[in-house]
Amino acid sequence: MTELDLSIETERRGRPVPSRRRRGRRGAVTAGLLSGPVSYLLVFFVVPVVMVACYSVGLLTLLPQDHYLSLRAWHDFLFGSIYMGVFWKSVRMSLGVSITSVLLAYPVAYLLALVAGRRKYTLLLVIVAPFLTSYLLRVLAWRVILGEQGVVNSFLKLVGIAPQGWLFYSQFAVYLVLAYVWVPFVALPIFVSLEALDLSLLEASNDLGASRWTTFRRVTLPLSMPGVIAAFVFVFIPTLGEYVTPLLVGGPKGFMFGNGIQNAFLQGFDWQFGSAMSMFLIGAVMVLMAVFGRFVSFRSVSE
Amino acid sequence: MRSELDAVLRSSLGRRAFLKYLAIAGGTGVLAACQKNITAATQGGGASATETRPPLESEPGVLHAYEWAGFEVKPLWRSYAAKGYPDPKFSFFTNTEQALAKTAGGYTWDIVHPEVGYVQDYFNLGAVQPWDTSLISNFPDLNPALEKAGQLDGKQYEIVTDWGYSGVIIRTDHADPSINSYSYLFDDSLAGHISWFDTPWILLQAGLVLGVESDIFDMTPQDLETCKNYCIQKKKNLYNIWVDFTQMWDDVRQGNVWAAYAWPDAWVNTRNDAPVAYIRPKEGVLAWGEGLMLNANTENYYHAHEYANAWTMPQTGLWVINNYGYGHSNLKVDLSKVDPAVVRAFGLDDPVGNLSPPAALMDRYQPQRDAYNRAWDEVKAA
Repeated sequence: MTELDLSIETERRGRPVPSRRRRGRRGAVTAGLLSGPVSYLLVFFVVPVVMVACYSVGLLTLLPQDHYLSLRAWHDFLFGSIYMGVFWKSVRMSLGVSITSVLLAYPVAYLLALVAGRRKYTLLLVIVAPFLTSYLLRVLAWRVILGEQGVVNSFLKLVGIAPQGWLFYSQFAVYLVLAYVWVPFVALPIFVSLEALDLSLLEASNDLGASRWTTFRRVTLPLSMPGVIAAFVFVFIPTLGEYVTPLLVGGPKGFMFGNGIQNAFLQGFDWQFGSAMSMFLIGAVMVLMAVFGRFVSFRSVSE
Repeated sequence: MRSELDAVLRSSLGRRAFLKYLAIAGGTGVLAACQKNITAATQGGGASATETRPPLESEPGVLHAYEWAGFEVKPLWRSYAAKGYPDPKFSFFTNTEQALAKTAGGYTWDIVHPEVGYVQDYFNLGAVQPWDTSLISNFPDLNPALEKAGQLDGKQYEIVTDWGYSGVIIRTDHADPSINSYSYLFDDSLAGHISWFDTPWILLQAGLVLGVESDIFDMTPQDLETCKNYCIQKKKNLYNIWVDFTQMWDDVRQGNVWAAYAWPDAWVNTRNDAPVAYIRPKEGVLAWGEGLMLNANTENYYHAHEYANAWTMPQTGLWVINNYGYGHSNLKVDLSKVDPAVVRAFGLDDPVGNLSPPAALMDRYQPQRDAYNRAWDEVKAA
């Protein structure tokens, strides 16, 4: 227990408060401790977000002659014919991908944490191994598997079935590839929460006559829920703004909200509109985080 | 340690102080950025050339060329190197919008290589100055149809060096070359085997097929709406919307795609593997040019002109045509050293006529770029 901890304890119990000098030292130490991460957040998160917000209302503009304050971009975005529809399409896709990823990853994490024994870290390394290759390569590899002349369609042809065009350049391909990409990410937080389980609880459940299924349903699953929800959030938030995978494998139906933002910035060169879309997405994510925050104690996950 | 952090976070003074510092830092950043923009705005576009310049010998000498990847190779500036100038320093962009955005953000270079449709944007940014064409000995030999596209107010802001078409590549075993139209890209009889490029130029091509009355680069809202609806209606015929040209080449080779939005290099790279033809549509092929622009504040003014001279040599043009499948602006390129099939496909035998209306419609500044982009978004989202 440090001197600082002691001083906090005395304050809590109503004993004499620490001296002014000691409080000053405490403030200096905490300020020093916080300065690094706070500066990082300020420079690389808060300031950029504020700048994007300024771009969205024309307080900042890319071209000097466009310098004017306007809510035009927000109006066009909120009352435009497609963008809210595309947003909800992206939400549906992200939900689907997140749920699929969690369902696929849970058994893997369970196996690693509770069954694999001493080999679990080796197996964990195997699961994480695909991350050693480029994201783009992993996505494009699916073309070799699902494409018109890919492994699956070649096999279908071999057994006399017509090639299936919907396998690639489709929403199915987007779901599949995103789920594949995110499963290892999802497995990790679930693995951590399962590994932290007190095994004596499982033994107690068994001693009390519960079946394996009941033990899983009544003990393991509820105790691992913080990890499951954290994993869900890990996937849901990034895939909401995803644009590379839909661009590469989505074909004519692959347009997502992230693609709209990318197009506004790059093709349309309309930073004001792209910034309005980006701010909306940031706002939506913050709301979702607040909602998820009501269901999960992030401290319990971290512990 | 956690209890210490908890104490700080619980403390109202800590929160207040934190928010205060946050606001100060955020505000400072925003004001700094605003100041940058206001300064740029007051400078105005298209800074003029300084009257008194240090001679070539007094310049720093190492040019910074902001380029497309692949345009750093020495055959493109061999004569510059041969004169003993130091090798340029290259940095790369993946698209013109990115380069323009970085430039607006303060990134500096001596020479940049955008398409002619963005000359006005660089001018508006105040980032460029006109070339002194008298210092470029090859300039009189350059295609006037192209160089005109690099001019603003009669001044040559871009030395257009290379060009190409945005036409259609077709599989001749499935599509009739005699139709010779952008209608391949919307043809119901090719359903499931059509590939568009991810660009609002598809709307322009639809406009050409539909014969809209307004200028396709600056359509009326009604015409743009008509083109958008036509594209949405024909989207059902698509195999995909390509973003990677090598992927499109493969799809053409393998027969997955029978008609695709393509540049001539697609035909150059697939013609030995599949029965293909490159179509320059009868409606007028959309053409693009790109070239070198000179930074308004360059310290390598004369070196930059020497570099532009190297890029516009006939030998450089021959190399560009034979190796990249792009056209070159120099009219004195020795075509006897180019495959006759390439000469025909590019129309290199009459580059001035083939790059002028009605044969071609040269890319230019689009004042309604954002409207076109949103219409294109609607097509993709449909």
